[in-house]
Amino acid sequence: MDALVLDGVTKRFGERTAVDALSFAVRPGEIFGFLGGNGAGKTTSLRMVLDIVRPTAGRISVLGCPPGRENAADLGFMPEERGLYRGMTAIDTVTYFGRLKGMSAAAARAKGHALLDRFGLAASAKMQIDKLSKGMAQKVQLAATLVNGPKLLLLDEPFSGLDPVNQGLLEHEILEAARGGATVVFSTHVMQHAERLCDRLLLLSQGRKVFEGTQAEARGRLPARLTIVARDTPMRCPGVERAEPGAADAQGWRDYDVTLAEGIDPADVLQCLTEQGVTLRRFDQHRVSLHDVFLHLVGTPPAGPADPAMAEHAA
Amino acid sequence: MTHNILLVAMREFRQITGMRSFWLTLLILPLALAVGPIASRLTQSEKTQRVMLIDADGRAAAAIRARLDTDHQRRVLTALSRYAQRYGLDRADPGALWAQHDRLFGDADVAMFAKAGGLPAALAAMRPATTSETPKFDAPEADFVVLPTPPAIARAAPGALDAQLKPLLQPGEFGDKTVKPLDYAVYIPRGFGVQTADVRLWSSEQPGANFVQPLQTVLTQDLRTAYLESTGLARDQARTATSLVPAIAVSTPAPGGGRERMLVRSVVPLLSAYILLMSLLLSGNWILQGLVEERSNKLIETVLACISPDELLYGKLAGTVAVGLTMVLVWGLCATGAAVATQGAVGAFLQAALAPLASPWIILVMLYFFLAGYLMVSMILLAIGAMSDSMRDAQSYLTPVLLVIAMPFTVVAQGVLSNSGATAIKVLTWIPIYTPFTMLARLGSGVSTMEIVGSGVLLAVFIGIEFVLLARVFRASLLNAGQKPNLAALARLMQRTPA
Repeated sequence: MDALVLDGVTKRFGERTAVDALSFAVRPGEIFGFLGGNGAGKTTSLRMVLDIVRPTAGRISVLGCPPGRENAADLGFMPEERGLYRGMTAIDTVTYFGRLKGMSAAAARAKGHALLDRFGLAASAKMQIDKLSKGMAQKVQLAATLVNGPKLLLLDEPFSGLDPVNQGLLEHEILEAARGGATVVFSTHVMQHAERLCDRLLLLSQGRKVFEGTQAEARGRLPARLTIVARDTPMRCPGVERAEPGAADAQGWRDYDVTLAEGIDPADVLQCLTEQGVTLRRFDQHRVSLHDVFLHLVGTPPAGPADPAMAEHAA
Repeated sequence: MTHNILLVAMREFRQITGMRSFWLTLLILPLALAVGPIASRLTQSEKTQRVMLIDADGRAAAAIRARLDTDHQRRVLTALSRYAQRYGLDRADPGALWAQHDRLFGDADVAMFAKAGGLPAALAAMRPATTSETPKFDAPEADFVVLPTPPAIARAAPGALDAQLKPLLQPGEFGDKTVKPLDYAVYIPRGFGVQTADVRLWSSEQPGANFVQPLQTVLTQDLRTAYLESTGLARDQARTATSLVPAIAVSTPAPGGGRERMLVRSVVPLLSAYILLMSLLLSGNWILQGLVEERSNKLIETVLACISPDELLYGKLAGTVAVGLTMVLVWGLCATGAAVATQGAVGAFLQAALAPLASPWIILVMLYFFLAGYLMVSMILLAIGAMSDSMRDAQSYLTPVLLVIAMPFTVVAQGVLSNSGATAIKVLTWIPIYTPFTMLARLGSGVSTMEIVGSGVLLAVFIGIEFVLLARVFRASLLNAGQKPNLAALARLMQRTPA
């Protein structure tokens, strides 16, 4: 059974379509990246999964059940815009959210202490939130998200606003949660995090899915590029779309900037050149980044100017 | 669902009661009520006024002094009679003057009272009937004290009196602020009653009827006696004729009865209406602060991932009502403490004031209107909080709402106490936003069961509709930031159930 399924889900706010016929499935134990620029529909999709807003059309299944607070005990959610009760202590905050997710007071408090200890906040457990630094408060928020040991972790732009230390901590916790069997879905427009963490990813643009698959599949969407140094042109090999020659040196060696056709493996080109007896002094393969893929598929850089979530809901 | 509502309510309750401002604000009311009477007693000026009599003949001054003393003794006797009646002390001496409550005491009665030993003798006679619960008799203070006339003034020519008396009437103006000013000075000219010389009265302020009237009575009596004598009537006959007064039988309700009883019985209901209003005014800010914090801190989404907007709403309402009831409980404890500490007259008063609560029906009715009032206004405050991004936003909605709710209260309280404006108060009873306050205030003065049930049902229906409409506003506004809905937008929010 898939941990999360969205089947033809559409959400309209008045005349505006925030999410348009979105379908995807997240397998158990997977780290799934939900990528898109600001205003792409990521936050709205997550809110529909949490039943904070209801879809206009389509079906959602969360751990095999329809969305609702009945699932709260198995979910961990960290919104993009975060905050805590300033007058509450760190441990009371974590315990409160644990209890809201159906835990007993004792269990929530014990788990809260364990998490705060793990995050280096044991000494600050009884301090009020407004007395903590921003970085410490971020850790408390993370503890409140993880306190119930969620089976499905939904993180909306989790790295936004985090200092580098806490970004590292969060990456570690995401990997730990996945190792422990939890499914992690996180939205981001920072491709480096997705590259480091995601098993599979989904690219969203203006509420529509433009890609779903593994990182390799995503990179496969973009033609590979090579730099080779040879005396002969590589154009005779199948799959080579273009080979821009540079100036030749005294011995006749020349740089070639090679563009391959979509789906062609650079290894096949290397094999072909070898079989044809083309002597190579250099064969460099340029790794396609997710950022390049994003630009290729969406057409604009991932970080746009508009505020996503609130604008979506308010519309 | 109940679990989550209770969790939210408990958090809300803890947050508010954990604030120092909560306890400070909470204790201000009992402190003000305690300090008020003490301060008023401390700042109160002496009641007894100072009088100087300048009698050229040395005849009328004694009569005026006797008149003032008789009037004072009459007040003592009247107060003593009410005291004996209220605390059942008549049985100690049923034939005593102070055990008679059915007539105005005349001069002859007062003379008899004085002859029998006055107040000390009367209190001694009552003692066998007193118990440990009987409060001490608090005798009324004398209204006037007649000061001896300094020889210089007694000898002064009438034309020099103004200059002589001025430093005594307004010593402050002459630089002497330690001397108590004289309140009245009266000059009775030589030959008064025979010749037509004017009596003169100096006063430090507008003369009061309580002084002018006895003065006039004595002097008029003198004039008439002199006149009757001049017509050939014997002196004794003339005196008797001028001192004749009718005997007036009086029927009044027993102490604590009649209008007094109604007023005393209205104290607790009126106080509960006032407490409802005060606790709402005070807790309004805290309710808003909690919700505005959740919205401005972007907490709301995290909370809504765990519980539904309805659970959040009901939890906040429950927490708010718990805060309100705590305030009432604390104030109740302060009142009980004050009653225990003061006992005596206050205890007896409280006993009478709490009499309406002897009926379980009235307790139920008071509880119903109190809680309904709290829910009704809290719901409005929560909707305001859900629409506000900051406390400044919230205040701009809150102030007019609280003004509309609180404004008629003074009129209602005064109307109930003075038994005036009955129609206006009855009309207000049927306007749901005023029903809890008006009904609570009126309970002590007697309200028909029909009116209680009818207005109670109407209020319940109003709160039901309010819940449906404002809950829609609450749900729809929770995640909206940076938008201040106008009236049209508000009406639209009320009409639809948001996705």
